[in-house]
Amino acid sequence: MSTKGTSDAKDAENGASKGPSDAKRAESPHGTNALPEHVLEEIRELPARYPQHRSAVMPALDLAQEEVGYLTPEAMSEVAAALDLDPGYVEGVATFYTLFHLQPIGRHRFYVCTNLSCSLRGSSEIVEHVKKAIGVREAGEVSKDGLFSYEEVECLGACEYAPMMRLDHEYYYDLTPETITALVVERRAPLSAAAKASRRRTPVAAPDKAPPKKRVPRTKKIG
Amino acid sequence: MAELRGSFGEARNHLLTRWFGTEDLHRLDVYESKAGGYTALRKALLDMKPAELVNEVKTSGLRGRGGAGFATGVKWSFINRDAPGPKYVVVNADESEPGTSKDRYIMENSPHMLLEGIMIAAYAVGANQAWVYIRGEYDGPHRMLVEAIAEARAKGYLGPKPMGVNYPLDIQLYRGHGAYICGEETALLESLEGKRAQPRSRPPFPAVKGAWGRPTLLNNVETLSTVPWIINNGGAAYVKFGTEKSPGTRLMSVSGNVRKPGVYEVELGQTFRHVIMELAGGPPDGRELKVFWPGGSSAPVLPASMLDTHTDMEALAAARSMGGSGGVIVMDDSHCVVKAAARLLRFYAHESCGKCTPCRVGSDWAVRTFDRILANEGSQVELGILERVADGLQNGRCLCGLGDSAGWVIDSTFRHFREEYEDHALRHTRARWWSRRPSSSASRSRSSATTTSSTRSAPAVSAWSSSPRDRRAHRQAARRRSPKEWW
Repeated sequence: MSTKGTSDAKDAENGASKGPSDAKRAESPHGTNALPEHVLEEIRELPARYPQHRSAVMPALDLAQEEVGYLTPEAMSEVAAALDLDPGYVEGVATFYTLFHLQPIGRHRFYVCTNLSCSLRGSSEIVEHVKKAIGVREAGEVSKDGLFSYEEVECLGACEYAPMMRLDHEYYYDLTPETITALVVERRAPLSAAAKASRRRTPVAAPDKAPPKKRVPRTKKIG
Repeated sequence: MAELRGSFGEARNHLLTRWFGTEDLHRLDVYESKAGGYTALRKALLDMKPAELVNEVKTSGLRGRGGAGFATGVKWSFINRDAPGPKYVVVNADESEPGTSKDRYIMENSPHMLLEGIMIAAYAVGANQAWVYIRGEYDGPHRMLVEAIAEARAKGYLGPKPMGVNYPLDIQLYRGHGAYICGEETALLESLEGKRAQPRSRPPFPAVKGAWGRPTLLNNVETLSTVPWIINNGGAAYVKFGTEKSPGTRLMSVSGNVRKPGVYEVELGQTFRHVIMELAGGPPDGRELKVFWPGGSSAPVLPASMLDTHTDMEALAAARSMGGSGGVIVMDDSHCVVKAAARLLRFYAHESCGKCTPCRVGSDWAVRTFDRILANEGSQVELGILERVADGLQNGRCLCGLGDSAGWVIDSTFRHFREEYEDHALRHTRARWWSRRPSSSASRSRSSATTTSSTRSAPAVSAWSSSPRDRRAHRQAARRRSPKEWW
């Protein structure tokens, strides 16, 4: 029982650190929730499609990611609550798959294939060029305007068109530095014009802010 | 859609790709009117009994095209059709083997051909519900399948009474989220159940206890897409193609250093010389073929001298390789085998699900050893480590084949290119970047690596030093350098 006492004490200590995250929640456009009610409603309807309700976890996380931009701890626990699953379980699934993002990402993501078939046809130059074009130094970093980030990914299954990449749910084939530049310019243009004020989805990363706090593993909380 | 690269149009060996390239083939009416679509389903539902369907596929000798090459008809017969309760057909469309793009080629060109195959298989094994597990990155094929399923529902082919027969059929899609391991059948089932995709131990096999604990038939996209042809023309007609033990044709996606990369339908038993040199046009001008992976990155490599190996599974097994997923990766003489192996090991280390220790630890160990070798810091010790790790990864020490595949990469490149490993590790005579041509743009873009080469020219400590302290300092220096430097 002594462990219980210490965990209570820890909770009391953590009280102060919980404050800011609560404040941040209150500021979010959906009140205290990370996910708006219509998304949660959609998530609650998912389990009916599958023989067991657990199968709904990946489509649900998809919806959450689509809404928030990446999977915040709050979003994951709301998904867990909506599906009647353990939050740790949902997080376990989210951390396993590479298409679930746990860190802020750019609104347009370059997934550049760097596996063997593409490497043999010059994908490393393409990666260098992507870095230069969007102005980042390493994979996962978000560009200053919050629009772009890139990742080096494994084979995307379009090897006859190497080097290739995936961007905004489309495949782009036979890449050259010129096509990359054109794609970046195309996506930057509307923002610099009229759309800047009416940006619906705020960039998922606020680049000038500090990187998000590392989440404390659950085991430590239990102490 | 991008221009087609691969087989299409009329040819003796184009069983699957005969109508590819036809305008709007992905639409149901075009598939029916031009390509004779859904005749096989009609024949199966109206004129044939489920047992006859299984026998027809057995007669055809069709073998799974996903990698293992198991006899499809036998797999179908494992499912007890009369067992009470639901049964499922699960389609493996999680194509992630490096160098393989054949399933994407089928789904983009003729999604209804796949649906027809799924429906026939479901009827044959007594399932009413099928699931297509499609990889998350395949946005285009996913959209096409969604449309195709909607069309089939509207037409009544999917629903309570397909073709007027009282046998409800339904197909649902499930999207993967970027995990290579999901191509392994039991990991795929775990993922379909909404869990972390870690392989299960077998038995029980999926035919007994598969998706959601029910009997499940798991087949690859290409395997099921072949079924309509077999039902239309009979299993006996299929046996006329290919070799005795590996009948039929298969799609091979040829990629890498060739003039015409593409997905080619090849009659099994043809040589790789035909596939690489004739169909794909061979290596670019002024280059020589050096090595090729005959069945995706997991298949042990074969050197150029073995170009006359036949494509059937028995011939490949005799050459100590395998047919795998049919992805042929070709590399020419301007590239380094050790670096290619290091790249693939990085892939396997990244994709290891972490369940079995040999694969989780071994692949990571191999990556770090490769990094030392490519940093010209290798020695006989590193070569020894690689050999031991390769042995530890193989021979069924893990639940699934991912560990074996990683082991085969090391093992086969060692077997055929020992000299090159020794140049790197012992003699340090190899250039340290991907392309060995100093004039090519590839090496120029990596000119940042020259800073390291200047620091390396006068090493403070050496792997050869007799002092253990020096050797340790040397290892630490190697670890500090970013592995990305070599890419």
